[in-house]
Amino acid sequence: MRSNSPLKTILTIASNTFREAVRDRVLYNLVIFVLLIIACAILLGDLTDGNEARTIVNIGLNAILVFGAFIAIFVGVSLVSKEIEKRTVFAIFAKPVRRSEFVLGKYLGLCLTLLVNVVVMGVGVSLALIYVKGGSLIYSIWGSIFLIVLELAILTAVAILFSSFSTPALSALLTFFVFIIGHMSASLRDLAAGLGSKFAVIFFDVIYYLLPNLAHYSFRTEAANGMVPTGPMVGGAVLYTIIYSSILLLASTLIFQRRNFK
Amino acid sequence: MSKGLLQYLVSGVLIAAGFAAVFGLSNYLERNRVSLPEAYEDEDLTLQGKRLKGFVLGGEGLMADWYWMQSLQYLGGKLVRSESDFIDLGDLRSLNPRLLYPYLDNATDLDPKLMAAYTYGATMLPAIDVNQAITLAQKGIRDNPESWNLHHLLGYIYWTQKDYEKAAEAYDEGVKINGSPQFMKLMAASMRNQGGSRETARSMFKQMLSDNPDQQTQSNAEFRLMELDALDDRDALNGALKTFSEEHGRCATGWSEMIPLLRNIRLPEGRDFKLDKNDNLVDPKGEPYAIDPSNCTARPGPDSAFPES
Repeated sequence: MRSNSPLKTILTIASNTFREAVRDRVLYNLVIFVLLIIACAILLGDLTDGNEARTIVNIGLNAILVFGAFIAIFVGVSLVSKEIEKRTVFAIFAKPVRRSEFVLGKYLGLCLTLLVNVVVMGVGVSLALIYVKGGSLIYSIWGSIFLIVLELAILTAVAILFSSFSTPALSALLTFFVFIIGHMSASLRDLAAGLGSKFAVIFFDVIYYLLPNLAHYSFRTEAANGMVPTGPMVGGAVLYTIIYSSILLLASTLIFQRRNFK
Repeated sequence: MSKGLLQYLVSGVLIAAGFAAVFGLSNYLERNRVSLPEAYEDEDLTLQGKRLKGFVLGGEGLMADWYWMQSLQYLGGKLVRSESDFIDLGDLRSLNPRLLYPYLDNATDLDPKLMAAYTYGATMLPAIDVNQAITLAQKGIRDNPESWNLHHLLGYIYWTQKDYEKAAEAYDEGVKINGSPQFMKLMAASMRNQGGSRETARSMFKQMLSDNPDQQTQSNAEFRLMELDALDDRDALNGALKTFSEEHGRCATGWSEMIPLLRNIRLPEGRDFKLDKNDNLVDPKGEPYAIDPSNCTARPGPDSAFPES
């Protein structure tokens, strides 16, 4: 008989996952990020001929994405495998915890870790902008940062899916490929259309619709020019993230339920 | 001495000796580095901005910034390394900066809203290849139809080529854009009526100075404004030299004997002549003016940054 509600179970697993990430010093990457941003703020003045604000935005937002993607990939693929390797998974499933709750809790825990990371990094970029008197860009970067959080949420779901049936190393590699191709799928499709090969067109069309289209979340160049994403764009991106992540988490749960830990 | 301590000591000495050798070797290698011939200095760009678009994981802005910074370092490096005593900012072809346009073209392909690149191109490219300058400005206008400032840049490029009619047309186009300042309308008329005048040039550079945050563009505009002031100075000095010759039947031998005459002269914009701490009459950059005895005219001193004409 279950004594906890599913939501409470999921939130407990999520908070434990967050605590574990903090214990594993995942947040240490913030130190490197802060050093990078400080160096940029100090050094870019001469290099950019007075345009350091937009370059700080470009470097900062791209660094947020790269740091976040590495955390999502490397922590994401080890979320499940570590529990299996350490045999803690037996203790968890000895309690009234469903595998779907376990997967969802792990996912939300890592998303929370990423959110904290990204927000702190965003604050770092904002402070650097104030330092270089580029405060007018602060408003525009947060729209782009929100889209980065959504992108990382999808990437985390991809990492969990691969890790539900593959080794951590292979899962990391596959997730990384999805990250790369996900950003290029629209361009690859256009390229294929130009090649005139029917097979290429179909192949890249399949990739375009099957893999997550991460180009939807790229608003970094625009943010550096002081633009903010429109309401429909943000709304569409949120919806896309929810639907795509749900598909991946559902698939992960299905695979995970069939998995034998012995 | 125990065997362990001896081992530590020997290891320590070996490590210190190793570092000393590495230090010496590093300096030796630095001194003996074979430098590439100058002809190999410029490497052609193998990647085109427009081809990279869509394949840099959404980091087009960052790549654009990289090309933009490269363009600054590229031309700046050429200017710094130049062995010439005098660099004419109006004609930089002798430096062979052939990659400036590709850098700026790539930067603006990747981020069509990178205004600093268009401004830098409009300021520096006319001194290298005016057609490239026009192409870049027109590309900016095509990609940023809401920006009147790019029409101003195009007008400026035509003005540097003394094509005042086309410059006026560029300003006319800019006037049609919502929010364009009154200055654009004035410049259109000014180009048609007195395109080659110093006053038009002064208005142009003042506008560039106030509108553009780029240090390079600002310093270029500042230099050009000082150059115009120096031309005004020399006109006034030549007038005074002529008066002096008429009154004394000879050319002045130095500025000191002309001080009474110079005190009565009013320079444009209410300026006064500039004197250095030794009371020498100096140009806006602080270099003393000289008198050319052959034709009794004022000319820039030997170390002046300004051209003779």
